[in-house]
Amino acid sequence: MNIAVLLKQVPDTTAKISVSGGRVDENSVSKWSMSPYDEYALEAALKLKEAGGGNVVAISAGPSRCEKLLRDAAAVGADDLVHIMNDDINNLDSTQLQKLLAAAISKSNSSIVLCGKQAADTNSGSTGPGVAEILGASCMTMVSEVTKDGEDYLATRPSSSGHEKVAVSAPCVFAFDKGVTEMRRPNVRGIMMAKKKEIEIWSAADLDVDLGNSNVTINSHSPPPEKPPGQKFEGADSVSTVVAKLRDEANVI
Amino acid sequence: MPYEALDFYDVDSLLTEEERMVRDMVRDFVDKEVIPKIEHACRDGVFPDEWRVALGEMMVLGAPLKGYGCPGLSYTAYGVICRELERGDSGLRSFASVQGSLAMYPIWDFGSEEQKEYYLPKMASGEWIGCFGLTEPDYGSNPGDMITKAEDMGDHYLLNGAKMWITNGTIAQVAIVWAKLDGVIRGFIVEKDDPGFSAPEMKGKHSLKASVTSELVFQDCKIPKNRILPGVKGLRGPFSCLNNARFGISWGAVGAAQACFDSSKNYALSRIQFTHPIASYQLVQNKLSWMLREITKAQLLAYHLGQKKDAGTWMPEHISLAKMNNVDIALEIARVARDIHGANGILDEYCIMRHMANLESVKTYEGTHDIHNLILGRHITGIQAFTRDL
Ligand SMILES: Cc1cc2nc3c(=O)[nH]c(=O)nc-3n(C[C@H](O)[C@H](O)[C@H](O)COP(=O)(O)OP(=O)(O)OC[C@H]3O[C@@H](n4cnc5c(N)ncnc54)[C@H](O)[C@@H]3O)c2cc1C
Repeated sequence: MNIAVLLKQVPDTTAKISVSGGRVDENSVSKWSMSPYDEYALEAALKLKEAGGGNVVAISAGPSRCEKLLRDAAAVGADDLVHIMNDDINNLDSTQLQKLLAAAISKSNSSIVLCGKQAADTNSGSTGPGVAEILGASCMTMVSEVTKDGEDYLATRPSSSGHEKVAVSAPCVFAFDKGVTEMRRPNVRGIMMAKKKEIEIWSAADLDVDLGNSNVTINSHSPPPEKPPGQKFEGADSVSTVVAKLRDEANVI
Repeated sequence: MPYEALDFYDVDSLLTEEERMVRDMVRDFVDKEVIPKIEHACRDGVFPDEWRVALGEMMVLGAPLKGYGCPGLSYTAYGVICRELERGDSGLRSFASVQGSLAMYPIWDFGSEEQKEYYLPKMASGEWIGCFGLTEPDYGSNPGDMITKAEDMGDHYLLNGAKMWITNGTIAQVAIVWAKLDGVIRGFIVEKDDPGFSAPEMKGKHSLKASVTSELVFQDCKIPKNRILPGVKGLRGPFSCLNNARFGISWGAVGAAQACFDSSKNYALSRIQFTHPIASYQLVQNKLSWMLREITKAQLLAYHLGQKKDAGTWMPEHISLAKMNNVDIALEIARVARDIHGANGILDEYCIMRHMANLESVKTYEGTHDIHNLILGRHITGIQAFTRDL
């Protein structure tokens, strides 16, 4: 059975985000990257494959720019690449998107699914549990490591007393927090192979998904408020004011 | 502040997707594993061994060579690799240039089948380090007059002489040594443990501190007969290696200049003097826009040269122009950057002074700035001006 990884392309954490007409202006995003928690999921999937076999199927839903993300995944070792082509991904609600992802996972013959616990742009955190719900699979959130344990899987996640190791059987969705290992760096051979790799391009129709209507609409985006200007204090007289501010406003002492 | 590579004309959009992926891979390596360690490596005067391992794992050593464990990337991709490495440090790029262009390339082009199969895979993976011995204490710009010689002793060769300024020498398992056999320059593969061979390190450099520089000493150094490079005689051997390394340097210098520009821009925007950021003053803006102008021109030179190299329509003089120009402007940009940073510019908290000092070496090695002027002068006039015997 295969191992599916769900990968979302998001504006790079260093990219400047601008909002125009109540919407994030995608055209002004200078750099798109793999969502950071997804990187941990991909690395964990590659490790699972190395330990127990199965193909790693990288699945991404989004417009054509996502091809780059899939090629990057191939360069580090993803075997199969699936692109759920959708130019208007931001206007799908979470349920619609999860339907597409769940259908692609089934079609890719995967019994376990790894994804990030939340995407760096929307931060909604619903993809893993939502996909698991549709697939009728178990779901484990906040995972930092998954290993194979016979036919089952052993996932590490935080608990009130530290960490807990939880055994679970497939089908299961693992939603990753910061994992134990950073995503590996590709090498030139991986990059050269990634270039030649076929990408399966599936539409909602190919996946037999009836998207229906969106239940949720985003009315507008707005940029975060500007940081208030810093405050300046001079001279020994200001010590008590500064201490009071550090204690009562900044809560640092 | 994350590094932002200046690319005003979007020259990188002309690269292939594969070349851009290679760029991102090397840039990420430099961000995560070189920048945090480089100042330490310079203070200690060492080349961190983990960089050797990482370069091998990324498969960027001998990247444009094909077969024998080498991936056969384009020369443009090789240029991009050099640029990204040198954005980190010229010493790191020197390591890769010497390994790929000066040590692996001559084996790949002029070696026997057995030599290629034995040495190249180990060198591509970084397991073995190579060096290139051409320069001698008394023969730098005119290596043709070298005195290191090889004698054919029937069942072995005997090498005698000394090389100087040899990058990677002390840490290398393999040295490509150019020596005269019956008065003709030939290439020999010398191994670390060959009897009569030693490679003491040269200490006290103020430049390329994170790169190992050594002497190579041959005192009746005995090497087996199968260690001569069969495929080349005369100066064409070392010069064809140098062409490839110089090509990489013309890209590498752009990386060092980009690093200095990036730091200068950020510094100028945040440094307040006379109640305003210094970036708001015309004199400082003039410096920044001059940097942008020269870097953009250098990028276009490097890119077009890469295309010519890949198409096979290049001449050595094309490479001379790019090496000379790009190192020249990079060094000048480093100096202006130092000025913009004021006193902070001399601290190792910033990359500036390190790049400036490094680029002094880069200006001299691989054909000094003026030797490239003479190469171009000969091309233009048809008259060589290297010596007085016309
Ligand atoms: C850090 C470092 C690493 C190096 N690594 C290597 C290596 O790995 N392998 C290797 O073989 N070499 C290496 N070199 C040596 C380098 O290639 C030489 O230093 C270079 O070729 C110049 O030779 P030189 O230093 O003897 O200078 P010289 O040739 O003595 O030149 C001194 C000055 O005279 C000028 N000059 C010389 N001839 C003429 C002329 N005919 N007309 C006008 N001006 C002239 C030069 O331009 C220069 O300004 C390295 C050097 C350095 C600094």
